[in-house]
Amino acid sequence: MDELTAEQARAALDTVERSRRRVIDEIDVPPWYWISVAAGWIVLGVIAELDHPLVTTLATLAFGAAHSMVAPRVINGRHRSRRVSVRADVAGSHLAAVVLAGLVVLVGVTIAAALALNADGARHPAAEAAVLVAIIIVLGGPLLLATARRRAVRTGAAS
Amino acid sequence: MTTPRFDDLIHPSTRLSIVSLLAAADWVEFGYLRDQLSLSDSALSKQLSTLEEAGYVAVDRTVRRRVRARLTRNGHAAFQGHVAALRVIVSTADAASAGQAGNRPSD
Repeated sequence: MDELTAEQARAALDTVERSRRRVIDEIDVPPWYWISVAAGWIVLGVIAELDHPLVTTLATLAFGAAHSMVAPRVINGRHRSRRVSVRADVAGSHLAAVVLAGLVVLVGVTIAAALALNADGARHPAAEAAVLVAIIIVLGGPLLLATARRRAVRTGAAS
Repeated sequence: MTTPRFDDLIHPSTRLSIVSLLAAADWVEFGYLRDQLSLSDSALSKQLSTLEEAGYVAVDRTVRRRVRARLTRNGHAAFQGHVAALRVIVSTADAASAGQAGNRPSD
């Protein structure tokens, strides 16, 4: 230890940080998840246009059930591929909660957008609102994960 | 608080890269390690065997016959101690150079 210079120690710490960042690059939610959720959102919007509350309720429950079966495995951002499982403390234990909270907020956005479109005289307000939110999901999901990766880098640098 | 402890087994560059990758993950597939570190299968196997013999790494085979490596509890402790020791070296050198700069007579 005494023989190691500060430059060599710095180089070794750089190696450690580079490796950590390689693993951080693996923090992600599979693209199919965002696309599936967006597609489901649009389908629910179209079903809502049919004006059959029972059908809409059943479809929403089915969507929720399917989501609850799939989401726990993927929305923590730790299993983008089957090659690495990112540690929870590296990925951020709050990530799944943030994704779920975002979806809850988007439910509110969908309702608000549908009401606004309806007031504006749109012919299919629910479907149009669902398409709008589906676009937000497909574009915003990856942005959210990019933010999570940047945060993971900062957290590691600060520790 | 981690006790700084320089670890000669971990320190060589390739092994430090392997252990650093494993430290950020629950487990890592053999192929991922090989690709990330641009090592041959035999070179990586040799390094993993060394770490495994030291009790720092565990190598598991999945039902799909994929090989996964993970850091053991001892491996984590050794890695954290080693990183802490590296930081001590850097901070000691930084403090010494700051002290020298402070003692230098101003123009």
